[in-house]
Amino acid sequence: MSFFDAINIAASGLTAESMRMNVSAENLANAETTNGPNGQPYVPQEVVLAQAGGSFSTALAGALGGASTPGGVEVAGIVNDPTPYQEVYDPTNPSANGKGYVKMPNVSTVSEMTDMIDEQNSYQADVTAMDTAKSMYTDSLNLLK
Amino acid sequence: MSFLDTTQLSLEAAMSGSMERQTLLTNNLANADTPGYQPEDVDFQAQLQGAIQSGQPLSSLSFQPTTASQSVGADGNGVDSNQTSAEIAENSLLYQTMSQVAGAREEILKTAMGLG
Repeated sequence: MSFFDAINIAASGLTAESMRMNVSAENLANAETTNGPNGQPYVPQEVVLAQAGGSFSTALAGALGGASTPGGVEVAGIVNDPTPYQEVYDPTNPSANGKGYVKMPNVSTVSEMTDMIDEQNSYQADVTAMDTAKSMYTDSLNLLK
Repeated sequence: MSFLDTTQLSLEAAMSGSMERQTLLTNNLANADTPGYQPEDVDFQAQLQGAIQSGQPLSSLSFQPTTASQSVGADGNGVDSNQTSAEIAENSLLYQTMSQVAGAREEILKTAMGLG
């Protein structure tokens, strides 16, 4: 277990949470997008988080009987939200079909906003953890004075 | 009494245990939104106490983490972020205390050697 693991792990949390924040922002920005790149309405995205498996050196240390080091968190992928499009009656919309209905992306503004609060809290918790680890290392360095 | 007595060795072991615990707790916090993740922790104080009582050499002591099996979130995640944050703060204070004790012991040695 090396000296800066806690800081690196907190950093992996920051990366993962900011990725979730980016995806939430993307979903909110495209909440009304009826024409995506493929001509279909926008499909909301979701981030899948996974525990990072650690590096080769970690696996080697574990195999040699040493203490294995946790690797933090990583973004395993970004997947489409499977909820179907919602159909809204809006005959003046250029994307409306013969009966006046428009297929809209199924972005739930409320759940995206609550997700963003959750992401912000997790991000702040990771920053605090990083700061705490930093102050511990500083304490150790002060022993050398 | 030798230069590196039991107090110094257990202080060093406890500091490295506290550092290990900090890493594990930070990892728990980073995985607070990972589905199915179960938090890890290490009770380094109990393991250190066991090692001292059984007379195991402290320099070769390595602390073994334990994995909890609790489910807090609907996604099977067992991390309670608030509790983990509190434990991180508590562990950091403990480490700070131990490093100050280590520093004070160092000062005593310096004085004894006529360097203070």
